Amino acid sequence: MALTGIQIFKLTPKKNCKECGCPTCMAFSMKVAQGAMTIDQCPHMSEEAVATLSEASAPPMKTIKAGFKAFADNKNDSEKEFALGGETVLFRHEKTFVNKTRYAVSVCTCMDDAAVDARLASVAAIDYDRIGDRMYVEFIAVDCGEGAAPDAYAALVKKADGAGRPLILNVKDEACAKAALDVCKDKKPILNAADASNYEAMSKLAADASVVLGVTGASAEELYDTVAALEKAGNKNLILDLGTASVKDAFEKAVLVRRAALKDNDRTFGYPSIVNVGKLASGDSHMQAALAALFTMKYGSVVVMEEMSYAQALPLYGLRQNLFTDPQKAPRIDPGIYPINGGDENSVCLTTVDFALTYFLVSGELERSGVPCNLLISDAGGLSVLTSWAAGKFSSGSIAKYIQEFEIENKIKNRTLILPGKVAVLKGDLEAKLPGWNIVVGPTEAVQLVKFLKDMQAGGQA
Amino acid sequence: MPFTKKLQKFNATIRTVEVGTGDKTTKLGGGNTLPFYTFDAPTANTAKIGIEISDLGLAHEPDCIKEVYAGCETVADMAKKAITIEGVDFLCLKLEGGDPNGENRPVEELVAVAKEVADAVDFPIVVEGCKNVEKDAELLSKVAEALQGKNVLLMSAKEENYKNIGAAAGLAYNQLVGAESAVDINLAKQLNVLLKQLGVDSGKVVMNVGSSAAGYGFDYLISTLDRVKAAALGQNDDSLLMPIITPVASETWSVKESTATEEDMPEWGSVVERAIDMEIETAVACLACGTDAVILKHPTSIATVSKMISALS
Amino acid sequence: MEKFITIGERLSTTAPTVNKAFLARDPEPILKRAKAQLDAGAVYLDVNIGPAEGYGEDLMKWAVTLLQENFDNVPLALDTSNKAAIEAGISVYNRSKGKPIVNSADAAGRIEFVDLAAANDAIVIALCNGEGIAADNDERMAYCTQLLERGLGLGMAEEDMWFDPLFVVIKGMQDKQMDVLNFIGDLTDMGLKTTGGLSNNSNGMPKHIRPIMDSAMVAMAMMKGFTSAIVNPNDLRLMETIKSCDIIRNATLYADSYLEV
Repeated sequence: MALTGIQIFKLTPKKNCKECGCPTCMAFSMKVAQGAMTIDQCPHMSEEAVATLSEASAPPMKTIKAGFKAFADNKNDSEKEFALGGETVLFRHEKTFVNKTRYAVSVCTCMDDAAVDARLASVAAIDYDRIGDRMYVEFIAVDCGEGAAPDAYAALVKKADGAGRPLILNVKDEACAKAALDVCKDKKPILNAADASNYEAMSKLAADASVVLGVTGASAEELYDTVAALEKAGNKNLILDLGTASVKDAFEKAVLVRRAALKDNDRTFGYPSIVNVGKLASGDSHMQAALAALFTMKYGSVVVMEEMSYAQALPLYGLRQNLFTDPQKAPRIDPGIYPINGGDENSVCLTTVDFALTYFLVSGELERSGVPCNLLISDAGGLSVLTSWAAGKFSSGSIAKYIQEFEIENKIKNRTLILPGKVAVLKGDLEAKLPGWNIVVGPTEAVQLVKFLKDMQAGGQA
Repeated sequence: MPFTKKLQKFNATIRTVEVGTGDKTTKLGGGNTLPFYTFDAPTANTAKIGIEISDLGLAHEPDCIKEVYAGCETVADMAKKAITIEGVDFLCLKLEGGDPNGENRPVEELVAVAKEVADAVDFPIVVEGCKNVEKDAELLSKVAEALQGKNVLLMSAKEENYKNIGAAAGLAYNQLVGAESAVDINLAKQLNVLLKQLGVDSGKVVMNVGSSAAGYGFDYLISTLDRVKAAALGQNDDSLLMPIITPVASETWSVKESTATEEDMPEWGSVVERAIDMEIETAVACLACGTDAVILKHPTSIATVSKMISALS
Repeated sequence: MEKFITIGERLSTTAPTVNKAFLARDPEPILKRAKAQLDAGAVYLDVNIGPAEGYGEDLMKWAVTLLQENFDNVPLALDTSNKAAIEAGISVYNRSKGKPIVNSADAAGRIEFVDLAAANDAIVIALCNGEGIAADNDERMAYCTQLLERGLGLGMAEEDMWFDPLFVVIKGMQDKQMDVLNFIGDLTDMGLKTTGGLSNNSNGMPKHIRPIMDSAMVAMAMMKGFTSAIVNPNDLRLMETIKSCDIIRNATLYADSYLEV
C-alpha cells in the first residue's frame, strides 16, 4: 500500500531547507506521494525513514512456503508446497482469504512406541473428498519432550517422516533441532524452535537448512522484539507460534498479530501463525475441536491438534471450506449423477441446480427420506433454482442437453424425473424434449421432499 | 521500536437484553468489542448458551439425547432436567409440533405445554415457534399472553408476521421479541426498524440473522454476522445494536455428519461424537463471528462451549 | 468509509430569533431549534455566537451547557472569532459524544485557531484561504499545506483537521465549481477530512431551487470523498440525498426504511 503525502511528511526532517527544490517539506512529500519526485532527492532523510518507505510498497503479510503436499488440494492445485499467510484482509467479505488454515496432529518423545505408531497410522485415515477438495491431515508435529536425547528425537522424527507428511519440529534444544534437521531438512519441515533466548542459534540452523523458523514469545511484545531481531539478522522466513500459556493469551496474540500486520501495516508481524490447540487443551478432544474451529476463524495458519478424528474433522474441514471461498462466487457441485440411499438404475431421478448450498439441502432431505434415488446435477451456473432459471441456465433445454450428454438414458432405466417445484413451468417443454420420460413436479421447498418421496414410494411410484 | 498494542475502540455498545425475571435472569449482548477481543476493552457480558427441548418430547430425538432425559415423562420434566445441566444459561422450548406440514398440533395444546414448562421452572426462557409464519403469528402471540410476567423471548418475528408477534410480545404482553431474517443483512436491519416503528422498544429486541451448520453454506452466515457486527459497532448503527441469538442445534443435528449411522459410514466412527463435534464447532464459529447466544442440545457440547467462553473471558 | 457528518447551522446569531435568545439567555427558542435539527438527523450542532465581544465567554459557556444538558452531550462546533469564548466553551464541554470543533481557522489572520484547537485537543475546521478567496487550486493547496504543517507541528492528528475548500456561489462563479470539487478530491487523496458551508453555492437562487442545487452539490462532493458539511438539516431533500449517498458509499447499511432512521 502506497503511503500518503502526510505519512511521508511525518518521516521527513521537517526543516523546510528547500535543498530538494521544494518550498516546504510538505510540498516535497506531496510530490513523492504522487510519484513526481523520489525520496532520495531529500538529502536529510534518515535511514530508518528510507527503509520504512521502501517497506511500504511490500505486501503487509508475507506468504511463507513450507513442507510438501502429500496430495493436491483439488484438481486445480498444482502447488507442491504449502503456502501460509499472504492474507490481505481481516474479514472474508472484504476480499477472498488466500491461504487456508492447515491442520497437524502430534507425536512426542514422551509417547511410547505403540502410541506413536497408532497416532501415525491414524493420520492416513482422514482422507476424503468434499465438493472437489481433498481433505486430509496436512502436517505432523513432532514434539521434543523435556530432556529427550538428540538421537531419540531424531529417531522419532525419522519415524514420523515415514507417515508421508511434512513435519513441524517442536523443539527447544539446539542439538536435538540439528539432529532432527539432518534427518528431514530436504522435506522442508518447519523448525518451530526459536524464542527470545535461543533465536540466534536456531535461526542459523534454519537458514543453513533453508527451512521456515517458528518463533514464539512470552508476550506479544517479546514475540515482536524477537521477530525484529531475526529480521535484522536477515531471516524473514518465519512463522509465529502463538504459544501455549492459555487459550486467552493465544487468541489475543492471534488477533493482535494479524491486525497489526493488516490494519496497521506493521510488517514485523506480517507472518503466518501456528497454534497448538493440542497443548492448550491437552487430553480434551472436544475442547480441541472447539479451539480448532476458533483458530480457523480467527487467524491460525497452522492448527496443531493431538490427533484428528472424523468427528473433529468433518465440521472443521467443512468450516474451512466455507471460510476460504470467494465471497463473490457461489461454491458449485460438479455435474453428474449422485446416487442417494443406494439409488441404482431402477431408482427414480430428481434434478436440481449445481449451487452447492442447494445441493446440500436437497441431498440432505433425500437422505432423510430413505428412498433410493438419483440426484441429477447439471451445469446451471452455480446459482439457486429460481435465479438460474431466470438467467436461462436451468431450462428445459439445459436439462435435456444434460440428459443427452451424460448419457443418462443408457445409465438409468427409470424414466421418472422430479423437477423442483419452483420451475414447474418447465414440465410441458421437458415432456416434449424428453419423450418417454414421466416428468413430475416436486415440492417447492427441500424440506417437503421427505414426505413427497415417501408418498410416492407408498403409491408405488418410487 | 517496541510493539505497541493498538486497541480497537468503538463508540457503540450492543444493547443488553435481560431474559427472565427476579434473580434468575440472563443477559444477552452488552459487548463493545469484536467477539472475545477482551484486550480491546473489558467485556460486560459473556456469550450465553441455551438448551433446546421440544414440545414433541423425545420421540424424534437420537438415543444420546434420550439418555440425557431418561426418566422424564413430560416436557416439563425435561425442562427441569435441562436447566440443571452445567453451562446452561437459558431454556429454549421449541414448539415444532405446531407445524401444519408436521404434527399440526393445535395452538391451545402448545400454549398449554409452554405454560406447563414455564410453571415448572424458574429460569430464563426462550420460546421458538414452528417456523410456519401464519401459525407462528397466532401461536407466539398466544404464548406471549399466557406467559405474561415471565419476560420470555419469543422467536421469531419475521417479515411476514412481525406485526402480530411484535404487537403481542413487544407491546401488549411486555415480552422480548426475536427478529428473524435469513442471512440478509438489509432485512435484518429493516425488521429492527419496522419493529421500532410499530412501537416495540429496541431494548427488547434480539436478532436471529440466520443459522446453518459448518460446511453447509456457513460462509453466508460468517459474512452476515461479521457485517452486522461491523455496521453495529463500527458505524454505531442504532438499528443494529441488538444482541444476536443463533439456534445451532436445529441445524447441526440434521446434517449427514451427525446422522449417518456407523453401519453406513464405518470409517467415520461414533455418530454421537460426530454430532457433538458438529454442534461444538458450529457454535464456536458463530460465537467467533459475533453471535451473543447459541442454542445447543447435548450436555457435552454445552459444557465444552461454556468452558471455552470462560477461557476467553 | 465513515458516515457523512452533518453540522447543523441553524443556531446562528445571524438569525434574529437566535440572536435575541442568545442575548436574553432565553433557552426556549435555542432548544427548539436544536431539537428540530437533531430530529432531522444533524450529528453536530454549530453554535455561532458572532464576535460577542465582552460577553462571549459567558454566552458560549451558557450555550454549551444548555445544549449538552438537554441533548445527551450533543457534540458541538464552537463558531466565533472570539478565541476566549471558544476556550470558555471547551472548558465546560463534555466529550463523550465527540470532540469539540473549533470553527474556524484560515491561513491568514485566523491561523492561531489551529493552535487553539491543538492546545485543547479539539477538531479544527481549516479554511483553505488566506486573504480573500483563493484564485485556483494551487493556491488552495498552498494554504492547506501551511495549515496542515502548523497543526501537525503542534502534535495534532491529521484526522482532527477538517479542511474547507470554500464553496463558491454558482451565480457569478459557475466556471469555478469543478475546481472546488476537484480540490475536495485532492484532499481526499491526501487522506484528509473535509467539510464546508455547502449552501454557499446556491446563494441568490430562488428558494425552491436551493435544496435541489445543494443536493446535487453534496452528491458530487461526496463522490469526491467529502466527509462532512455545515448544512441546514431541516432541508429534507438535502438530508435524504446525504443518506442515500452514504448508502452508495457503503457508509451505512441499507434497509428499506433507511430514510426514516
